Amino acid sequence: MRNCASLAWMLAAALVLPASADEAFVTAQGAGALDIIDVATMKPLAHLSIGGKPAGIAVSRDGARAYVTSPEGQFLTVVDARARKVERQIPIKGGPLGVAVSPDGKSVYVADLYGKRLVEIDPDRGETRSVAVGAMASGVAVTPDGGIILVADRDDNAISVIDSGRFERVATIPVGKHPFGVTIDAAGLRAYTADVESDSVSVIDIGARKVIATLKAESRPYTVALARGRIFVANQHADSVSVFDAASLAPVAVLKVGEYPEGIAASADGGRVYVANWFANELWAIDAASLEILEKAQTGDGPRAFGAFISGKR
Amino acid sequence: MSFVIARRAVVGAALSLVSAGLVSAPALAHGPSRQKVVEKIEINAPADKVWAIVGNFQDMSWLPPVAKTEGTGGNDVGAKRKLTLKDGGVIEESVTKYDAAGKSIAYKIDTVDVKVLPVNNYAATITVKDAGGKTEVEWKGAFYRGFMNNDPPPELSDEAALKAVTGVYKAGLEALKAKAEK
Repeated sequence: MRNCASLAWMLAAALVLPASADEAFVTAQGAGALDIIDVATMKPLAHLSIGGKPAGIAVSRDGARAYVTSPEGQFLTVVDARARKVERQIPIKGGPLGVAVSPDGKSVYVADLYGKRLVEIDPDRGETRSVAVGAMASGVAVTPDGGIILVADRDDNAISVIDSGRFERVATIPVGKHPFGVTIDAAGLRAYTADVESDSVSVIDIGARKVIATLKAESRPYTVALARGRIFVANQHADSVSVFDAASLAPVAVLKVGEYPEGIAASADGGRVYVANWFANELWAIDAASLEILEKAQTGDGPRAFGAFISGKR
Repeated sequence: MSFVIARRAVVGAALSLVSAGLVSAPALAHGPSRQKVVEKIEINAPADKVWAIVGNFQDMSWLPPVAKTEGTGGNDVGAKRKLTLKDGGVIEESVTKYDAAGKSIAYKIDTVDVKVLPVNNYAATITVKDAGGKTEVEWKGAFYRGFMNNDPPPELSDEAALKAVTGVYKAGLEALKAKAEK
């Protein structure tokens, strides 16, 4: 009995451990590359040449694949995240930037910055269909059940709500000025946009399709991460991360980080938050509870890491 | 002497990248790839002396192409200045951060025609550091190219933006050095 239990534990550990090591997939736009970093040690694991000024990133929920957008090269790169190799590149006309993956990994959604559309990609077959969204479509996020896709329509000061099954725009929600990143919580109830030009974060009730609160960030917020019941906002021109309590929405702290923080994302267990500092070419690890800066890793030139750039078992 | 003239010619050319018939981009829109420039110089003068020059937001006469600085608000965050260049071009800027103790000033361009400087969403920081009696000055800029969409004309490309800003910084730092070492 005791042996069975320990054998079962060993099997479970063997299955879980390799997948639970978080990795960061950081798009280095200036370097034209994807840096894969072991965030447990903050050491580089791989440096993949991508090209086309890579910016957007999304790792599939199972950690099998990473998807990288190259807005200038006008393609999506499919990366085998475990083998750390480029599988293929899929052309997408316009300016593919924001990207997200459906929870089942079967669909990849890419916002075309210039074409006012959201494109659905089958990773094995290429572009399947697209839907009209607003001007300068930037960030993309999918609810945990896969039913709803949100797109930040930057120059419309709004987000588009897309029904993923019908692939139709069912609503638009006005937010602050120039929303860039959009993030959905684990329960699929609330979304947050970083509103670059109004220095704010819009808190959205997804079901009610309306903004329920506006948080005051610092200069030029770009993206939002959620961890340990807190909201983390990367403020590009302030070189800072604003922290709020997700329940009360009260400000908790403002953390000094590297120059031009852009992409921000939480570890799988929510214990850490990682922020890519574009000017400094650094990825910083922040303790989500103590808010201490834990470690820094070097990246290629111009890390943007715009999207869900951390893989790991959730 | 010819060296100085050559420098001025470079920066003059950089600041007046004239091109006719360009599609003008909305001031706040930009393409997807932000660019950065970092230039440094060592100056044989005390940091306080150098900071007295670059720390005054209302006087950018140390930058060779600038003919006139007019502004309001001193060095406070939000202070404005309008630079009129010797070739007639105009650049409007404002202070975003000012750290007198740390000798660092950050500012952004509020309005500029891409024919004057082929950039969008430009922000910069100048930092002055003591280096054992000498001074190290670092000028850093982040910006997008002049053309907001794909397939920019050559004069509004990433390369054109980088070349223009790098030219301004190099010539500006050389002129600052010359002025501070007098």
